[in-house]
Amino acid sequence: MAVKKKFPYRSALVACNGGCHVQEGQSCENGCIGCGICVSVCPFQAIVINENGVAQVDEAKCVACGKCVRECPKQVIHIHECANYIVVRCSNRQNGKEARQVCSVSCIGCGICEKTCTAGAVKVTDNCAVIDEAVCLSCGMCVVKCPRHVLTDLRGIIC
Amino acid sequence: MYSFFVNGCQVSTSKKQSLLRFLRDEMHLTSVKDGCSQGACGACTVLIDGETCKACVLQTDRLEGRSIITVDGLSKWESEVYTYAYGEAGAVQCGFCIPGMVMCTKGLLDRNPDPTEEEIKYALRNNYCRCTGYVKIIAAVKLAAKIMRAGKIPAAGADDWLLGSRVHRLDVEEKVLGYGKYPDDYYLDGMCYGTALRSKYPRARVLSIDTTAAKALPGVIDVFTAADIPGENKIGHLKHDQYTMIPVGGLTHYLGDAIALVAAEDMETAEKAKKLIKVEYEVLPAVHNIQEAAAEGAPLVFDEETTNVQAYKHVSRGNADEAISKAAHVISHHFETPWTEHAFLEPECAVAYIDDDGDVMIISTDQSAYCTLHESSLMLGTDKVKCQNALVGGGFGGKEDMTVQHLAALITYLTRRPVKVRLTRAESLLIHPKRHHFEMDFTMGCDEEGHIMGVKAKVASDTGAFASLGGPVLERACTHAAGPYAYENFEIEGRAYYTNNPPAGAFRGFGVTQTCFATETLLNMMADEIGITPWEIRYRNAIRPGGVLPNGQIVDESTGLVETLEAVKEEYEAALAAGKPVGIACAMKNAGVGVGIPDWGRVKLIVEEDAKLHIYSGASCIGQGLGTVLVQMTVTNTDLTRDDIVYERSNTWIAPDSGTTSGSRQTMITGEACRRACEKLMEAKGSDKSLKDLIGQEFYGDYLAKTDPLGADVPNPVSHVAYGYATQVCILNEKTGKIDRMIAAHDVGKAVNPLSCEGQIEGGVVMSIGYAVREKYPIDENCKPIEKYGSIGLFRAHEIPKIDAIVIDKPGLNVACGAIGIGEITSIPTAPAITDAYYRYDGSRRYVLPIDNTPYERKE
Repeated sequence: MAVKKKFPYRSALVACNGGCHVQEGQSCENGCIGCGICVSVCPFQAIVINENGVAQVDEAKCVACGKCVRECPKQVIHIHECANYIVVRCSNRQNGKEARQVCSVSCIGCGICEKTCTAGAVKVTDNCAVIDEAVCLSCGMCVVKCPRHVLTDLRGIIC
Repeated sequence: MYSFFVNGCQVSTSKKQSLLRFLRDEMHLTSVKDGCSQGACGACTVLIDGETCKACVLQTDRLEGRSIITVDGLSKWESEVYTYAYGEAGAVQCGFCIPGMVMCTKGLLDRNPDPTEEEIKYALRNNYCRCTGYVKIIAAVKLAAKIMRAGKIPAAGADDWLLGSRVHRLDVEEKVLGYGKYPDDYYLDGMCYGTALRSKYPRARVLSIDTTAAKALPGVIDVFTAADIPGENKIGHLKHDQYTMIPVGGLTHYLGDAIALVAAEDMETAEKAKKLIKVEYEVLPAVHNIQEAAAEGAPLVFDEETTNVQAYKHVSRGNADEAISKAAHVISHHFETPWTEHAFLEPECAVAYIDDDGDVMIISTDQSAYCTLHESSLMLGTDKVKCQNALVGGGFGGKEDMTVQHLAALITYLTRRPVKVRLTRAESLLIHPKRHHFEMDFTMGCDEEGHIMGVKAKVASDTGAFASLGGPVLERACTHAAGPYAYENFEIEGRAYYTNNPPAGAFRGFGVTQTCFATETLLNMMADEIGITPWEIRYRNAIRPGGVLPNGQIVDESTGLVETLEAVKEEYEAALAAGKPVGIACAMKNAGVGVGIPDWGRVKLIVEEDAKLHIYSGASCIGQGLGTVLVQMTVTNTDLTRDDIVYERSNTWIAPDSGTTSGSRQTMITGEACRRACEKLMEAKGSDKSLKDLIGQEFYGDYLAKTDPLGADVPNPVSHVAYGYATQVCILNEKTGKIDRMIAAHDVGKAVNPLSCEGQIEGGVVMSIGYAVREKYPIDENCKPIEKYGSIGLFRAHEIPKIDAIVIDKPGLNVACGAIGIGEITSIPTAPAITDAYYRYDGSRRYVLPIDNTPYERKE
């Protein structure tokens, strides 16, 4: 069992939707490859490989120790604050056209999220949306507007 | 068809729209407030399958099968607990954010019955409140959790309704449960919607306006231009320079100037119609700032003026130049303060209709129903106008001017249809007058002991596209620039410039927030130069009863600056001794408009058929709690109990004009009028009669706060009947560089309701923490301001420091039972106190607000 966590809780987050379907032989340059290293190094059994073939963190179990972040060969895992349930599930760095070809749910850097955000919390940086969690108001307007379902409500309410 | 559940009932709709629009427009669940429709404010927060969501975000097509709960769906027990807890904690002010906050409370407590303070702050942090500073809302959640766990609601902490009692405000329940009505909550039969087409350019000549296509659009009732205005096009509180609509041939003054006004059956059609209006402009160079406005040969903002100087003030007493030249220590510096947005939670809205008397009835959210009446009458050219205040979702000075009221009145007058005119949040950010940007040069001279010998200053403000209250704001900035200190030589010269920026006007502090920053910062620098503490230099210079202010006024026994300094002394010195970065500043602020302007408070007490005493006063409660003040005043000055009394919201046909809610004046001035009316009631009633015996009788009280005009030829003019005084202290965390604690000691005369008074202090302090370290209202090269509520930099619940609100209960004047009031002063000394603390932290003096290089700064 995980050690007691200090509020505000933090957790690892895998920034990949798994839209390129690694198991079918396709792959995106920047996404999760489903290698399972994070699963094996996690001391709290907080990570599984999900139905899309990519790693997924159980925030209730994760203590944000950062081991998976350090071990991930694709650097698609980062630590975030659990109270910020609106997250970017993509680590794309390629331009929009290429990103569209390899994955149906990749960030194409269209910037709709950036224009939509009332708080100025979302910025497209190197072809991928990035949320500044200190500024985000967790409204989910970007989730509703994102044409690629890259922005996600971890609670599963806003879609 | 999309089908989902709202408060347990299944509902379906075929229209794809936001959940917010569905709940309000289709179901008329008006407890779900529309504060921005941008996902920022949180006033529309509901629970969806137990999770908090902003209703403006989700569309109906994504809700299939989901369960939505609003405050209307709370159980009876929950409703009682939240009403009690929010009342007991003093968490309700304007109330517009409250239903959203209540839903956050429920969302948290349903899964965590015993949350920590940090968890509560996080649960509230996606919702903004501009009145309370969150302190008492956090306390309310804590209390609600405790009651939920105990299963029993205790008796209220105070219920005698006497002056000095911490009673629950009288409007708690309607605001917690969301049934209290703001204008936007009115849905009248046959109501249409109005919206204005705004200018495309900040400064352009309107060459032609073609509304043919817009008028032909199905669903459009009519489209009006300046030519349709029956009375005066130009309105304004003092100076009539605010165009209702820009006529053909006229000049636009900013992007918010209305060109045409559309009335349509629904908002969607109205918006479409605006796009069909063809306007030809001759684009002209705009005036962007004070320097451009003041430059020789500058383009004129107004055709009617010969200069861009809107107001000029010169205040002088003694000989500042000579005193400074002889002073042992002299410091000069340039200071700047930013534009600030009020960011009240409720955007401007008015509903108008033709009433049974054939009059134009305006239901408004404003700071004076009588101002709405006068200006709408002027524009319509008829006095057949009435105004009724609905609840007001915050004002802070930003709802003093006409924004929607006159437009609603015009549409109703011309179409005879009920109409709602409501600003979008983007329009609101553009249109209502802001806090003035000031540029200031100050020089202060002191003797060896730190006594102020003289102060000389020159200030300029950007008053934007129309005067609004630019003149009085400049005047107050100048008169109060001297600070609450006893010295004789003071001279200040100020100019307010028209520009093509959005207008600037009243904002909590009324110019003093700006000049106080300069004076107090200089005083802190001076203390360092002389080698005494900033506390000590203030104590040595502080105005004391019987002393003479730099404006010549001899202050009375109620003067409590020294008491506020003494109240913070121990904590200030302890912080200093512990080596913590600590800053301090003082302030004074008038109660009442003063300077010779007739300042009347008026109250009418009527015993109505229900054998209750109804309090009528044409004075707006904009969230500060005036109704509660007047009821406490009445209970104290009669033999009646709370249950005998009904507080009526301000209107213009029964309630007598009691002036604008401005200048921190209502508690004292309307309070005294109320006390006088109570005297008359008690003369008639005696101890033997009951209210039943007095049915149909009216008791009228009025009070004139008499003052001398500026420059009056008397040795010691009375500029204001009373002043509030304050000292605030800021203590930083030496590790994080964040604000750990604010201590705010305020001399308010007799505190009518200390709970409300603390709420005012906490709210004012948090508002000015934002002003000091983060809030911005950037204006681009097209004179276009920020459009998004969430990007202003308002403080959020988890960011606030600990705030110690200290109410110095020193009896005031022999009016209003010694109450002086609070309001504006809470926001005045905060910024210089914080700035001083940051200097102690990193050695860098800052002269421009918001200050840079703090952990709160948002880098682009």
